[in-house]
Amino acid sequence: MIQLKQIEKSYRTDTIETLALNRINLSVFQGEFLSIMGPSGCGKSTLLNIMGLLDAPTKGEVLIDGRLTTHLSDKQLAHFRNQTIGFIFQSFHLINDLRVLDNVELPLLYRKVSASERVQLAKEALTKVGLSNRMKHFPSQLSGGQKQRVAIARAIVGRPQIILADEPTGNLDSAMGNEIMDLLLHLNATEGTTIVMVTHDETMAKKTHRLVRLFDGAQVNDHTLKQVYA
Amino acid sequence: MISHLFKLIWNKKKQNFLLITEMFVSFLVMFAVFTMIVRAYNNYRHPLGFEYDDVWVASYMTPENIQSDDSAALFQDVLRKQLQSFPQVVEAGFSGHNFPFAMTMSNSMVSSDQNEGVMTNFYNADDNYLKVLNAKMLSGRWFSKADDVSKSPVVVINRKLQEELFEGKNAIGKYIEYGGDRLKVIGVMENMKDKGTYTPVENGLFKRIDAGAAKWTSNILIKVKPGADAVFEGKLFKALSNTIGTSVEIEHMDKKLTRQNKLSLIPMIIMLVVGGFLIINVALGLFGVLWYNINKRRSEIGLRRAVGASGNSVSKQLVGESLVLSTLALLIGLFFAIQFPLLKVFDLPASVYLVAIALSVAFIYILVFLCALYPGRQAAAIYPAVALHEE
Ligand SMILES: Nc1ncnc2c1ncn2[C@@H]1O[C@H](COP(=O)(O)OP(=O)(O)OP(=O)(O)O)[C@@H](O)[C@H]1O
Ligand SMILES: [Mg+2]
Repeated sequence: MIQLKQIEKSYRTDTIETLALNRINLSVFQGEFLSIMGPSGCGKSTLLNIMGLLDAPTKGEVLIDGRLTTHLSDKQLAHFRNQTIGFIFQSFHLINDLRVLDNVELPLLYRKVSASERVQLAKEALTKVGLSNRMKHFPSQLSGGQKQRVAIARAIVGRPQIILADEPTGNLDSAMGNEIMDLLLHLNATEGTTIVMVTHDETMAKKTHRLVRLFDGAQVNDHTLKQVYA
Repeated sequence: MISHLFKLIWNKKKQNFLLITEMFVSFLVMFAVFTMIVRAYNNYRHPLGFEYDDVWVASYMTPENIQSDDSAALFQDVLRKQLQSFPQVVEAGFSGHNFPFAMTMSNSMVSSDQNEGVMTNFYNADDNYLKVLNAKMLSGRWFSKADDVSKSPVVVINRKLQEELFEGKNAIGKYIEYGGDRLKVIGVMENMKDKGTYTPVENGLFKRIDAGAAKWTSNILIKVKPGADAVFEGKLFKALSNTIGTSVEIEHMDKKLTRQNKLSLIPMIIMLVVGGFLIINVALGLFGVLWYNINKRRSEIGLRRAVGASGNSVSKQLVGESLVLSTLALLIGLFFAIQFPLLKVFDLPASVYLVAIALSVAFIYILVFLCALYPGRQAAAIYPAVALHEE
């Protein structure tokens, strides 16, 4: 599904060059729920951004569905993200000036989907995350857990094959975190969506199929927890 | 996408209020500046309405020994004949002290049966005046010998005064009230911009120099042939000095125009400089506000890029939003601006306001477009990961 080949990423600031990722080779398989762990600053978010084509690696190749993504134009990358990837962030990244329903519709806005169909799909997605009664609210009127569920609805509304989640439970207490985790597990189990999740929580990671550990930009461990049953 | 834009704008009405106000004020400022510029341009473009090339002006003091009205009229006749006898002189005619490009004026209120209280310039002119300046009649006729015997005083008015006093209807044969006198209109002439290239057309009323006025009119407009030179001017000066006996001054009308124009350009240059500063101010103000607004939204931009917006569509959206906002601001602005021609605030033709409105609308749109495009492009060019990172 996703293949990373010899990925390197370095950030150059005025004085120093930080090597955020060092020769990462990683494959994520269809239907897999993969978790990534590692200490703060080890490059987990950077890795996820590169997988999601939000950032370009300094060296190496990203293949998605066997397609090399190196030479895609900005427009093609945007199209690719829109069609195949859903993002969930630690800080939710909802647009505060849009109501819940409009936030969820957002990915469909960049597709050729009619307005009524957009509303229909967004409502379905919100129902899946149990928020059908909060559609007219603004993000500021929701709890953290509810915000993250809106973000999940937004990530799944376009039925992407892959969901990339960067510490989706990082800002939530454990009860809410578990709810979110259950949602993701359910999504993976019922819809077969491939999920890559960065987490700091060992118990969350244990519930996934495979755990990859990073340290200082390098992959130190790849541990299969469960078999994926296709 | 459009309905999405409106939703976004509506939900942010508080922040957008500031932006709309800024655009609205900018529009009004530009409307004022453009009104002045269009007015000045209109004045400039309006034809002079007469010819000043090869027209000289001889000014003198009526000699002390000329006492009676009749002898004053006779004296004018002598001078006219003397001037006409020079082969280089095409025509010569008398005028009051406020001949074209002289820096004096005389005005007063007049009224008609339809209208009262219109301010107009008063001019004194003899039968040759029209021909010397090659001015044009619109209807009726200029003064002639026949007016010597007319019962009531006769006047010629210009097109503008006809419009103001008689609603533009033919004024020939009608009367104008002035200080208890009833002046009969015998002719309407084309407007003359007698105060220079950049000045507006004003109401004008010409009175015939009759015997009573001859003593007070001592300016002769002399149309000479193109080749007339300094040698001839010297000759003319000597001849006139001999006849008149007091000091004579000969000036050239084209030089007077140059001087007059320099004077009227000064306030216009000041106005243009002030207008220029205002334009720069408006541009910088709008740019600043738009720049700030767009930079505040970097994380939103990052998110839109993540869910599938290309850099291009993000910058299109930002520009689109700004244009929708400016349209709202302009609609409010138009409502106020249109009151000027409707209520006839200031004595300006409606066309000046309308052109100024069109120019200000175009100006604001172009400015907003450019001011939104640049920060929009910049914001869209950053990597989505970087934009998302800043929270
Ligand atoms: N835009 C950037 N410019 C410079 N350096 C950066 C940038 N983004 C990340 N880095 C550096 O790259 C390294 C990896 O950062 P990254 O955000 O991927 O870490 P992380 O594993 O996600 O950490 P955390 O668990 O705290 O989220 C860090 O040393 C960080 O300082
Ligand atoms: Mg991180």
